[in-house]
Amino acid sequence: MAQHPQLPKWTEIAEKQMKGKSVETLSWMTPEGIKVKPLYTAEDLEGMESANTLPGMAPYVRGPMATMYTGRPWTIRQYAGFSTAKESNAFYHKALAAGQKGLSVAFDLATHRGYDSDHPRVAGDIGKAGVAIDSVEDMKILFNGIPLDQMSVSMTMNGAVIPILAGYIVAAEEQGVAHDKLEGTIQNDILKEYLTRNTYIYPPTPSMRVISDIMAYCSREMPKYNTISISGYHMMEAGANSVLQTAFTLADGVEYVKAALKSGMDVDTFAPRLSFFFGIGMNFFMDIAMLRAARFLWYRLMSQFNPKNAKSSMLRTHCQTSGWSLTEQDPHNNIIRTTLEAMTAALGGTQSLHTNSFDEAIGLPTDFSARIARNTQIIIQEESQICHVIDPLGGSYYLESLTNSIINESQKIIDEINELGGMAKAIESGMPKMRIEESAARKQARIDQGLDVIVGVNKYKLANEKIDFEVREVPATVRDEQIARIKEIKASRDNVAVERALADLTNAAKNGGNLLEAALPAVRARATVGEISTAMESVFGRFVATTRCISGAYSSEYTGDNNAVTAIKQRTNVFLEKQGRRPRLLVTKMGQDGHDRGFKVVASAYADLGFDVDISPMFQTPEEAAKMAIENDVHLVGASSLAAGHKSLIPALIEELKKIGGGEILVVAGGIIPPGDYDFLYKAGVKAIFGPGTPIPESADKTLALLEEKYLQ
Amino acid sequence: MLNDPQHYVTGVLNRDRLTLARTITLIESTHPNHQQLAQTIVDRLLPYTGRGIRIGITGVPGAGKSTYIERFGTMLTGLGHRVAVLAIDPSSSRSGGSILGDKTRMERLAVDPNAFIRPSPSGGTLGGVGRKTRETMLVCEAAGYDVVIIETVGVGQSETTVASMVDFFLVLMIAGAGDELQGMKKGVLEVADAIVINKADGDNLLRAEIAQKEYQTALHMRMANSPNWCPPVLTCSAVEGKGIDKIWETILDHRDKLTVSGEMAEKRKTQALDWMAFLIDEGLRHWFYTSPHVREALPTLRRNVEENKTSPTAAADSLLAFLYTRNGR
Repeated sequence: MAQHPQLPKWTEIAEKQMKGKSVETLSWMTPEGIKVKPLYTAEDLEGMESANTLPGMAPYVRGPMATMYTGRPWTIRQYAGFSTAKESNAFYHKALAAGQKGLSVAFDLATHRGYDSDHPRVAGDIGKAGVAIDSVEDMKILFNGIPLDQMSVSMTMNGAVIPILAGYIVAAEEQGVAHDKLEGTIQNDILKEYLTRNTYIYPPTPSMRVISDIMAYCSREMPKYNTISISGYHMMEAGANSVLQTAFTLADGVEYVKAALKSGMDVDTFAPRLSFFFGIGMNFFMDIAMLRAARFLWYRLMSQFNPKNAKSSMLRTHCQTSGWSLTEQDPHNNIIRTTLEAMTAALGGTQSLHTNSFDEAIGLPTDFSARIARNTQIIIQEESQICHVIDPLGGSYYLESLTNSIINESQKIIDEINELGGMAKAIESGMPKMRIEESAARKQARIDQGLDVIVGVNKYKLANEKIDFEVREVPATVRDEQIARIKEIKASRDNVAVERALADLTNAAKNGGNLLEAALPAVRARATVGEISTAMESVFGRFVATTRCISGAYSSEYTGDNNAVTAIKQRTNVFLEKQGRRPRLLVTKMGQDGHDRGFKVVASAYADLGFDVDISPMFQTPEEAAKMAIENDVHLVGASSLAAGHKSLIPALIEELKKIGGGEILVVAGGIIPPGDYDFLYKAGVKAIFGPGTPIPESADKTLALLEEKYLQ
Repeated sequence: MLNDPQHYVTGVLNRDRLTLARTITLIESTHPNHQQLAQTIVDRLLPYTGRGIRIGITGVPGAGKSTYIERFGTMLTGLGHRVAVLAIDPSSSRSGGSILGDKTRMERLAVDPNAFIRPSPSGGTLGGVGRKTRETMLVCEAAGYDVVIIETVGVGQSETTVASMVDFFLVLMIAGAGDELQGMKKGVLEVADAIVINKADGDNLLRAEIAQKEYQTALHMRMANSPNWCPPVLTCSAVEGKGIDKIWETILDHRDKLTVSGEMAEKRKTQALDWMAFLIDEGLRHWFYTSPHVREALPTLRRNVEENKTSPTAAADSLLAFLYTRNGR
């Protein structure tokens, strides 16, 4: 490659300034394995296919629309759902009045997994991480006073997509809105659920059929509706770096396209309705480049299907700022982090954006924190003047180089996936999951060593943390309210008609027929979400998660001679010598919360520190977790909770342990737990609580100290 | 930890899950006091052992062992059996810690009241696996588990140790694992009582059937190690639950044939003698390497061998000779 004629001279000056050290030492290797130089020049862009293109034209690096934000800025779409349909509805009305365009509904985990609120497995999950929806009656309350023919509605739903989408359609029908007026997006991205988020219901094959059926129905009935939002966000949240996020997300997309083609659809009937969802982290330029690279690659990948409609190979995306980058410590810093990430999404050319509330590492957003989050976007759009120019960073030597590097690195992984036979096969092989977990463990190790700085967590820590703002509480009565309404519905509906409609749905699952279409009569007859899910589950079965966990990644990234780590390894060895076995702990996730990154990073890192770590299956009840703790005879149970179920599930675990003779087993908790709940949990018998961002050596040190106190004194 | 062996004996015989779990902890413990206590407990439980069907299962990583055991185990509890699963997980050689994740793939069996699953870290020593697992198996039998399954990862030498303590040794394979066949110790196939090709489902079905033929040929070429049993090659799909019942029938058939011919009784006798021989070997090694003279002399000798000052043979001889003189021979 040619170099700038004056580069040798610059090198000379620079090295003089560095007192003789080579400029090479200023290069930085990113977590993606991309080498970033201290200086880029026009020569770096020579021969680059992705540089100097135009927006609205293939390969769409600079944006899918010709005018981008100069015509209309991105849609401010805040994801929200609170406990009950009524409360969420009130929140939506307030947000719309305050300048938000478009709604985005968060459902609770019981709904995601296709359970009604009265199901015993989900007692700890109702209304916790989003709104509880049991039937179309709840759906109608959710959208009360919101004309669905004028409002674009995005729904984050992947497991129970059939009853929820059908519920939305029927709620609209009963508002008098025709199907073809409906506008919005359903996430409907099941492949990534098997990779990271785990809110699936059925095994992969029937789940892929569900998606094809939805695409087929909507391409016919709801032409303005986006039938899928292919999501990398959750991969990033699970620890994937930007190259992994790009490669796996696009590979998922290709798999959906293939499934739709296989079901007999023409590529141009559905491909224009495919939308994407990327997560934006703190690596400012990297993620701007990521969005540009993703558009380029999607265009390239779609070419193999020979679409006639240009829109078929145009990547349109929603973005969300990273939840992982939010800290529980000194939480007002999160406003600044979110602002930077929102800038990244805007400069990367997103079509819509959700900005997180600063208190999300502590609890669910309040009206106040939601307002600040929303205003973050409004201020960028309306005060910063950045919307006047399309892709303003296009042509930046650095950014274009980075874009090109992500294209190349992602393509390598996509090629690897193709060799495995596509993403579905790759997921079966466990490859993507292992890569993400490895990336997560490495990131954790870098944070714990202070190589990745997080202000307030591993640098510039506050001496005294104090929460001086309101934290939202989920009322304990939500479950009772939902159960009462289910009873009411079941008593007032025509049960014969419900049975018949459900039998028809089961029949469609067994013998073919469009599942979404077959579910509509059941929804109209007031069948519940749980009943509809079960009607299909009786044919498809319920998918059982395979949890794999890699070891060694944490310690191999933890390179420096770190005394904390060595000391813990020594202490686990001393424990082994004195007790005859290593400290043994069970890490468990109870309830329907499927976020398993933290729990796996902890398992992997603790094993690297010399603990024996048992991992429980996902979605445990407290009884099941206690049985496993007893049977494996562990010293300690670590319960991970990220979805607000901690106040009921963890005390229940402690009670159950006592009941079956395991009273001496210690219990610690980790995850997103509002500091206001700490005392409650300590009183219930929890020995230690580790909030988000706790360095592993710190939590391991405390955990080990608890065990040493109990067993070695 | 309670120190009264009778507490554990009574608990195990009463089928108390907690006590069984704690007894296994004692057996696995490297602490001398625990080992002594465990020995007493196992000795007292010995009269109540021997009535179970002992099955060893191994296979290459990714063969679907845990998923297979989930299906197989729940089928057995459905038939009224009580099933214990002992899963041996390799420990990290660097940190010594382990990730014990077997139960995540045995979701239903893990919560089955008639099942007991205990993952154990291998702890780095293969001999240790043999000792601990064998005794754990006996204790599970005493606790009324009439089927005991021992699961190992097919990458080390622990398989042959496991094969030497079970009635039926099943090797789980997948199609297209020709390389793994090479990689797996040939000895593992020699001790197999059946080879099962898992993942015979979907577009993999044909490949599984081809693999079945290949393994059949391979097995024909080896010497039969039993006059009464010719190891079959079967296919199954653990995910879809197909072919699992056939494998159980095969195990029962094997048991019948070997029992009638008297081979089973012989096998268990031989296993007991082998076990004794193994323990003597292990004891000798332990005794040798922990004797103060050896501990003192060994580092210097190792250094001399490394620096080519002494030949390995001469070094070994001098150490061993030292013991002869010490014992007056």
